[in-house]
Amino acid sequence: MTIVVGYVPTPEGEAALTQAIAEAKKSNETLLVINSSKGDALVDNRYAQGPDIQSIEERLADQGIQHIIKQPVRGHDAAAEVLDAADENDASLIVIGLRRRSPVGKLIMGSVSQRILLEADCPVLAVKAD
Amino acid sequence: MDVWSSLMDGFATALTPMNLLFAVIGVLLGTAVGVLPGLGPAMTVALLLPVTAALEPTSAFIMFAGIYYGGMFGGSTTSILLNTPGESSSVVTAIEGNKMAKAGRAAQALATAAIGSFIAGTIGTALLAVFAPIVVQFAVSLGAPSYFAIMVLALLAVTAVLGSSRLRGFASLALGLAIGLVGIDSVTGQRRLTFGQPLLVDGLDIVVVAVAIFAVGEALWVAAHLRRTPLHVIPVGRPWMGKKDWGRSWKPWLRGTAFGFPFGALPAGGAEIPTFLSYVTEKRLTKHPEEFGKGAIEGVAGPEAANNAAAAGTMTPLLALGLPTNATAAVMLAAFTSYGIQPGPQLFSSQGPLVWALIASLFIGNFLLLLINLPLAPVWAKLLQLPRPYLYAGILFFATLGAYSVNLQAFDLVILLVLGALGFMMRRFGLPVLPLILGVILGPRIEGQLRKTLQLSAGDPAGLFSEPIAIVVYIIVAIILVWPFIFKLIRRNRPVAAFTGPSEQSARSEAESPAQAGDPTTTTHQKQEKP
Amino acid sequence: MSSIATGLKGRAELGVALLLGVVGVLVFLDANGLVTPYSQSDPVGPKTVPFIVSGLLIICAVLLAINVLRGGKGEAEGGEDVDLAHPADWKTVLPLAGAFILNILLIDWAGWVISGTVLFWGSVLALGSRRYIRDGLISVALSLLTFYGFYLGLGIALPAGLLEGIL
Repeated sequence: MTIVVGYVPTPEGEAALTQAIAEAKKSNETLLVINSSKGDALVDNRYAQGPDIQSIEERLADQGIQHIIKQPVRGHDAAAEVLDAADENDASLIVIGLRRRSPVGKLIMGSVSQRILLEADCPVLAVKAD
Repeated sequence: MDVWSSLMDGFATALTPMNLLFAVIGVLLGTAVGVLPGLGPAMTVALLLPVTAALEPTSAFIMFAGIYYGGMFGGSTTSILLNTPGESSSVVTAIEGNKMAKAGRAAQALATAAIGSFIAGTIGTALLAVFAPIVVQFAVSLGAPSYFAIMVLALLAVTAVLGSSRLRGFASLALGLAIGLVGIDSVTGQRRLTFGQPLLVDGLDIVVVAVAIFAVGEALWVAAHLRRTPLHVIPVGRPWMGKKDWGRSWKPWLRGTAFGFPFGALPAGGAEIPTFLSYVTEKRLTKHPEEFGKGAIEGVAGPEAANNAAAAGTMTPLLALGLPTNATAAVMLAAFTSYGIQPGPQLFSSQGPLVWALIASLFIGNFLLLLINLPLAPVWAKLLQLPRPYLYAGILFFATLGAYSVNLQAFDLVILLVLGALGFMMRRFGLPVLPLILGVILGPRIEGQLRKTLQLSAGDPAGLFSEPIAIVVYIIVAIILVWPFIFKLIRRNRPVAAFTGPSEQSARSEAESPAQAGDPTTTTHQKQEKP
Repeated sequence: MSSIATGLKGRAELGVALLLGVVGVLVFLDANGLVTPYSQSDPVGPKTVPFIVSGLLIICAVLLAINVLRGGKGEAEGGEDVDLAHPADWKTVLPLAGAFILNILLIDWAGWVISGTVLFWGSVLALGSRRYIRDGLISVALSLLTFYGFYLGLGIALPAGLLEGIL
């Protein structure tokens, strides 16, 4: 079984990753880290660059966790990428980070977390940044 | 003829609150456009042409000038922070600039670029104010034959020198000339290329042509090849420079200015060659040769000064002779025509206040750019996160709106789409767009001068050579046209003359050097078919 | 497979030569059809320049055809936001052109606010955005803003079309 975590280089993303590492250790499962970009802007700060990915890689290796890191850029939004990965790997758990948002803001911006919560076939663990 | 007092009058006009506001709008828009991918100053001015039709010409040109200079400033920001030079003139900046940014010296790179641009722009504008009236004085003495010759030179120089394929340049020029023919012949009233379509009788509106080629064609082309790899901006604080950076920057700034201005003023001189020359010079003169290739500040200071000085240089033939030497200047010339202002040597006498207000606004714009670029660089970098769908949909939206609002005819939109498709095809198959635009704009004026010339000589072709300046210009034209063939011949004979050895070698690398401009880091410029 | 593809690409550029040739012939025929008596005051006449232009077009067409057949290739234009590594993405361009044409058809009848909304919303969609609600709101806002901006700021009355009387 696999645990899928949606990672972004923000406090919420870090919180999700930390939580996911703990879960993976507990159940001794493979951790699949997804950091995607729609690739529709010239610059995407939510897409982790080389050094970031390398430090995650090292952190996971140090903790002795079986892991895969994927960075898909296929024009899909983050929710679709995480859900796809969960389906393909028959995930036992999805871990995501949540942001605070007003109801109106969510209506206009849409919500990646909401889509994952509604559409996932497995339990979803949503954490907030501390 | 007193330059100083005219210029002061110009400042008085340019500093009125309304015009100052347009200068601010211009530089803000220009910087944004320079930073944003896919948008350039030529396209922006083209998109604004219809909107500004209702404005005072002076205000409109003040804004356009702000956009032009602002684009130069903004372009350096992306070159340094992202290594994606948007304009060909900032390709060289990216070489050292991006290395500096990666080494944690982004703030200094941006600072030397901004201050260097300011200094070069100011000196360049001062040179413009001094030289333009001199050129005008010389130009008003020219008759139709010389003027015809000079315009032919301008067209051929742009067509034959720029771009990698002269053949494709000429194809583009010919298409532009054909588009320029559409409509009523001004002398005889005959309808040409209207195909019985009454809506074509007035000719194709230059605004529609410019918007189609620069905006629609470009948006469609980029849409077909959207880059999907996200990049990261190198984070940067407020740009600043230490004492040592000042010491290493000021000479490159001045030398860059010296390269930039004359090249900008030449037809087809452009900003690419002087930025490259400046880079090579700084590399040769530097006391820190070990830093070149790893982020030498001289390599940013010189080229950035050169491209801004070239921008000022470009304004000289535009204002003094009515000759555009790059795409933005071509669109500005179109703007003059759409205001019913006759560009050419008479411009200084007939539209003196406008011209001097424009020149004064260039000084003001430069200063404003320094103010908004130094503290706001991190904010500008944020613009890069704008999702592309909005950017390109916005270009199409405003292109449509602008082209439609000229005559409120849906027919213009059909032309917009057809010419937009042409622009797409030209980008796909490597036909440069500048010769086409120049052909559309200058074609009718060249024809006018030709007919005037032969009218004076009663149809005798010898009339074309009746002025000494005309003959000199034709000789230059001949050299430009024949040059590549001579070049080929020399090359072919080279292996035979092998005994000259080392000097031959260096001569060859010199000749090939422009091709190496993009070589160290950038990937946007690929050379095709090395001869 | 790839040799066929490159062969086709080479042929596509022949289309440019064909276009140049056709335009050249058109310009020639059109100029040839002009009737002008010789006049002392205009020895050049309205025909000469079109003849030169058509000559230039036809020469370019022929030379380009020869160049392409001998393996010459135009260098596609690069740019900040252009990735030439993948081929032209017609799935983006054609819907984009569709939105554009829809706007042309709608503008006089339905008015700018509606046709502009369709244009922007359709373009954003074609370019790959999938936030329908937000995109729709932006489209309507843009169209309304430009409509009133042009009317109040520039004195240009864009067509109100179906919404005549409401706006």
